[in-house]
Amino acid sequence: MESISRISSLLETARDLTLEAARDAGPRKSTRPLPAPQIKKLLDSRQEREVLDGLRRIIAMQYANPPQATLTFFPAVLKTLSHPYPSTRPLVYNYLIHHAELDPDTALLSINTIQKSLSDSNPRVRAMALKTMAGIRVPVISQIVSLAIKKGVSDLSPLVRKAAALACVKCVRLDETTRPQVEEYLAVLLADKQYYVAGAAVQAFMEVCSTERLDLIHPVYRRLCRMVVDMDEWGQLALLKLMTLYARRCFPRQTKRTKRAQTREQKARDFYEDLEPETQPQSSEADYEEISIADPDLTLFLTSIAPLLQSRTSAVILAVARAYLYLGPSTHLPAAIGPLIALLRSPQDIQQVALHNMVQVCLAQPSLFVPYYRHFLLRSTEAPNTRGLKLEVLTLIFPSCTPEIQSLLLAELEHFSRSPDPALVRESVRAIGRCAQSPNPTSSRRCLALLLNQLHSSDDNLVGEAMQVIRHLIQRSPTEHRKTVIRLAKNLDHLTSATARAGIVWLVGEFADGAGDEVGRSGGVAADVWRILAKGYAGEGEEVRGQIVGLGAKVYLRWLNQRKKEKEEKMTNGAGGELLLSPTVEENHDGEERGFTEDALTDQSAANAAQQQEGKETSHPIELLWQHTLLLARYTPSYHLRDRARLYRALLAIPSSTELASLLLLAPKPVPQAPSPSESRREYLLGSASLIVGEDLRGVALPEWVEEGREPDAGLRDEAGDGLAEYVGQRESGRAGTVSAGERLDGLLAPGGGVGPAKKGGRTLDAWLDEEEGKESSGESEGSVESEEATSTEDETEEESESESESEEAGLVK
Amino acid sequence: MSAIEAVHIFDEHNNLLLTHTYTGRPSPPLVLLPLYLQHAAPRPSVLYFPSLHPPTVLYSIVQDNLLFFSPSSGNDTEPLLVLEFLHRVADALEEFLGSPLLASKIAANYDIVAQILAEVADAGTVCHGEANALRDVVETEPGVLNNLLGKVGLPGNAAVPGLQGGGPLAMSGSGGGIQRTGSGLSALQPAQTAQGSAIPWRRNNVKHTSNELYVDIVETLSVTLAPSGRLLSAFAYGSIAFTSKVSGVPDLLLSLSTGGKGAGMGNRGDQLRAVMERTVFHPCVRLGRWKTEGVLSFVPPDGRFALCGYEVDLLGPEVTLTAGKSTYGSLGLPAGVEITVGLGSSGNEFEVRLTQPTTSGGGASIATASLQSNLSGGSGIGSRSSSYKPGVGTGDSKAPSLDKFTVRVPLPTAVRSVTELRPSKGEAHWNPVDGSVEWRVAAKDFGPLGAVLRCTIQGPLAADGDGAGAVLNGMTATTYDYNDDEPASAYQTSDGQEKQSNGVPAQVSREAKVEKSRELMPTSTTLSFSVKGWLASGLRVESLLLDNKKSRGLGPEVKPYKGVKYLTVSREGIELRC
Repeated sequence: MESISRISSLLETARDLTLEAARDAGPRKSTRPLPAPQIKKLLDSRQEREVLDGLRRIIAMQYANPPQATLTFFPAVLKTLSHPYPSTRPLVYNYLIHHAELDPDTALLSINTIQKSLSDSNPRVRAMALKTMAGIRVPVISQIVSLAIKKGVSDLSPLVRKAAALACVKCVRLDETTRPQVEEYLAVLLADKQYYVAGAAVQAFMEVCSTERLDLIHPVYRRLCRMVVDMDEWGQLALLKLMTLYARRCFPRQTKRTKRAQTREQKARDFYEDLEPETQPQSSEADYEEISIADPDLTLFLTSIAPLLQSRTSAVILAVARAYLYLGPSTHLPAAIGPLIALLRSPQDIQQVALHNMVQVCLAQPSLFVPYYRHFLLRSTEAPNTRGLKLEVLTLIFPSCTPEIQSLLLAELEHFSRSPDPALVRESVRAIGRCAQSPNPTSSRRCLALLLNQLHSSDDNLVGEAMQVIRHLIQRSPTEHRKTVIRLAKNLDHLTSATARAGIVWLVGEFADGAGDEVGRSGGVAADVWRILAKGYAGEGEEVRGQIVGLGAKVYLRWLNQRKKEKEEKMTNGAGGELLLSPTVEENHDGEERGFTEDALTDQSAANAAQQQEGKETSHPIELLWQHTLLLARYTPSYHLRDRARLYRALLAIPSSTELASLLLLAPKPVPQAPSPSESRREYLLGSASLIVGEDLRGVALPEWVEEGREPDAGLRDEAGDGLAEYVGQRESGRAGTVSAGERLDGLLAPGGGVGPAKKGGRTLDAWLDEEEGKESSGESEGSVESEEATSTEDETEEESESESESEEAGLVK
Repeated sequence: MSAIEAVHIFDEHNNLLLTHTYTGRPSPPLVLLPLYLQHAAPRPSVLYFPSLHPPTVLYSIVQDNLLFFSPSSGNDTEPLLVLEFLHRVADALEEFLGSPLLASKIAANYDIVAQILAEVADAGTVCHGEANALRDVVETEPGVLNNLLGKVGLPGNAAVPGLQGGGPLAMSGSGGGIQRTGSGLSALQPAQTAQGSAIPWRRNNVKHTSNELYVDIVETLSVTLAPSGRLLSAFAYGSIAFTSKVSGVPDLLLSLSTGGKGAGMGNRGDQLRAVMERTVFHPCVRLGRWKTEGVLSFVPPDGRFALCGYEVDLLGPEVTLTAGKSTYGSLGLPAGVEITVGLGSSGNEFEVRLTQPTTSGGGASIATASLQSNLSGGSGIGSRSSSYKPGVGTGDSKAPSLDKFTVRVPLPTAVRSVTELRPSKGEAHWNPVDGSVEWRVAAKDFGPLGAVLRCTIQGPLAADGDGAGAVLNGMTATTYDYNDDEPASAYQTSDGQEKQSNGVPAQVSREAKVEKSRELMPTSTTLSFSVKGWLASGLRVESLLLDNKKSRGLGPEVKPYKGVKYLTVSREGIELRC
């Protein structure tokens, strides 16, 4: 996260950079190219300088763009290996690794020389030779490489042992059949006393065995946990990943149901018990909680990685947070939040990835992020992606904030909803909508008020977005928002955004009509809105027109239903005189209706005729309005709308049978869900690439906790003795607690200290082999557990995807 | 698993500079580049291309205008691991080739770059992250670095003294140098001198003729102000860059002091830790001593490195939202910015004002004020002890020097042009490409009265003229109201209202104009500046001690030269909403 190149770019002004760039802007200076024979001559020279020069030129040719053919120099380059100058080695090896695959036969010529270097007196030369030999991608030599690694594993120099560890990866990649041998080597290397050898061994283990041979880890588990602080970042990363998987496999989650701890409130309540006797009978479910009892070995791991939270490497901080999230969320995770927040100061590329991960943690434990809300305030200079993620965090923590912070966050969101950037407007309005879902009624009312205010904006885009969110909110609890719908209807005379108008009309048809029931007369607000809208029908857009017709159909249908009910009531209640009257009215009406529907063109005359016929029984305004609306729809250019109008007319043709129409039009609509955008990524592992790109990239899935009783015996982790004592002894000499590598090195630097070579390489290997055999049975039982787990996780993901698709469908249906 | 498959580097014109393959068959760079460039300008650092075969995740960073790619086609990788690795590669290249990284430097030194790339990761497994320790393993001809350093004139010439010193002392010591005496057979390779570095981050056998230590503390400001001028957030993100050019293995002790902040919070270490929050450290720092004593004790790498990163909440840890303390002036920053929008007859003007913030004055005593005015030539205003003190100094901590101010006002895309720019001081211009007004004021022009910039903007063509009437469509006529109080009047429609609106067309159009130009007004403005010799957090270096007892390879009489530099930078870091 802290990179010196970034700081130096701050210290040096931009001017320097441009000046230098200008100076170098000309054609790229490179050493004058020489013809091939001349380069060969250089390589054949006895002068070190000339050989070096020749090699440099070849390397430059190899990397230059476009690449030039350098394969022709292969024999000449290999010949220089016989020179005694070590300075040429790195370049020759580089060339060799690059070209070996293209010309394996020539490459094999070099093996002999390299093998000689394996027993050079200089450890660095040995390490380099081992590294190069394993890097030659010619499968024939896999056995030779394997032997070389075996030799390297017991080398005195940790440098060579580290090279051997890394060579293991290449060896298996070269030839799968060497895997059993390589696993033996790794077992030895994992137990190495040098932290950087062990770190490299863990890296190699993750590459070679991934999650399979966890039995190799048991005996070194405790030692690795203690070493992790001193390893380099890459070793730490591999170890954190390994141990997170290991812990899930080997430590069952033991939980104890205990009576909820005596919090201060509880105690106070107990004290005043006699005053409030009604609190007594609640002690059924809530008073018990699951307390997880961590295995001491697991606790060892979790505490020993705590100092890594101050690492300069963002990946390490995140890996620790991952371990805490998946292994001990309640106890350790809070400590990791601050360091995660620190990742926000890193360069933009890392910041983005970090934010994705923070959202993931925030989904699990939003309240932990509340104290850091200031860090998530948006800035105008940020990339759109960053803004979206920050908004998401803000909305996630919103329910757990205090009212003051909530009002600040809302003001913030309101500000950004007025931004000129349409994408940001959409994001922030949706964020307000998500805030409105918070369980606290006052804050959700405030959000709604805020959104309603947005409707007065002159920005059509904003109004449309706000309307959409308001619609969702009202649908969620229609009974509370009856007044809101009426207020929205009032807005219809000045709103210009077509989507917003259509949304309001739909809402009126859906929810405002019910208000009429209480008044007693049909229609209510909805009918009146309908009446006024019908006047301006010609001026509306197609979307709104469609909704007007829909509104009309609903109001008319409700009116029909109500009239029917009234009649039934009259039938049952009135019994006597009215019974005689009503059928005739009904009949009359029916006739009238049929007249309309059969020939809409003559509706006016028919109505007139009906009026004249009936005299006092004038046609109800709703009926007339419905006819009028149908007429308007009939002459609309859009045939989609004309189609729909025909459907409605057919549905509502017979006033006495409205069951089908009621089913179609008055069906309760599913409530739309507005989950947090990252909700869909929830199942991806923290820190994985899948989480960032949002697609499953076949990573190592996190296993479920092992069932109790099926875990490997804790005794396996007891250490073999001597190694432990030595390492601990070194640590004790330093300060207790967290000791950095630097401190430990003080001891080593002291005169006579020196890096202690491992003397018992061969012996320990034998010891290891013996142990292997004894442990095979336990390994097998583990295997079966693993397969079970795999299936169970599969099932889970399936279920999740199903539920997801359901919710999606729900969202689509209005 | 976590393998790096390849590294591709492109120059500033997106021409391929070099590609280094570690393992597997990664997608070629020229296939990846167009896919990458398809994305809009702030490009995500992690991209997924499922259309490629095999499907590839592309990680990318941009450093000094160079573009670094690392594709990953296998299983899931850890994005941060790859990105950190790329940053480390950039750091390592900078260590060898000098800062800033330029395409021409890389092209001229392919052999060094090749060795670095081969060393940092072994067949895809990242294994060597420390730039300084790489000096032990990467062979460089002394001439190469000398040429490079001499001709190009490196600003960050960390390795120069070791290499330039012609004496045998320097030659035998520098890890990069190869001594050539006689036939060349007796060339002393650094690798042969030791078993390998005992300290993973420090190269072996460091020898310097002049021993020097430099501490550079850089703070980047990130301040957000509400339209009312209230502070929403104020952070200073600090980094301590350390340059060590000391022979042998020095053991250093760096103590910082808070400059009065966090007083009354226990001992000095506690105070420091209260001010420096969320710290991250280079692995050389002994965490134990930081925890117990609040000092940084470490054995540094040779050359320049990032020692520590921290952040300071300038609002203080326990600030409440209602506290009156959170005014801009209390931060003690050298300048503030104000913006007023919707000015002028048709509301299409806005005004930006650069001010010297009025300080809260609570903690400022008259004595300090007068002292300051003595020190800084009478231009000092009473301010808190930690606040910026203006002066015409040379950039040392007694008289901080200020670079020029830059105010940037981003405008909405709908703005067609900015017709008038009237700065009272400095110069301002409108940049149509990114749609923003930039205003630069030199520090010496900027007095206590501040400076003002007034701009007139012009919206899209359609908005001019009689667009106002057209915006409000036919719906103006149909007004209805549902207020419960006045049900009767609610049903009164159209006629009366229509007359009204026709009666005062001029009024309507003016309002509409103002309304229209409100959408064209900026919603924020940012202020950039940099101050040398002053830190927003008030941190100071109290002492830097070389522990002669613990250090090795350094004569007891050696007293290294020590230098301290403070710098506060705001790169569009002060943002005012409006």
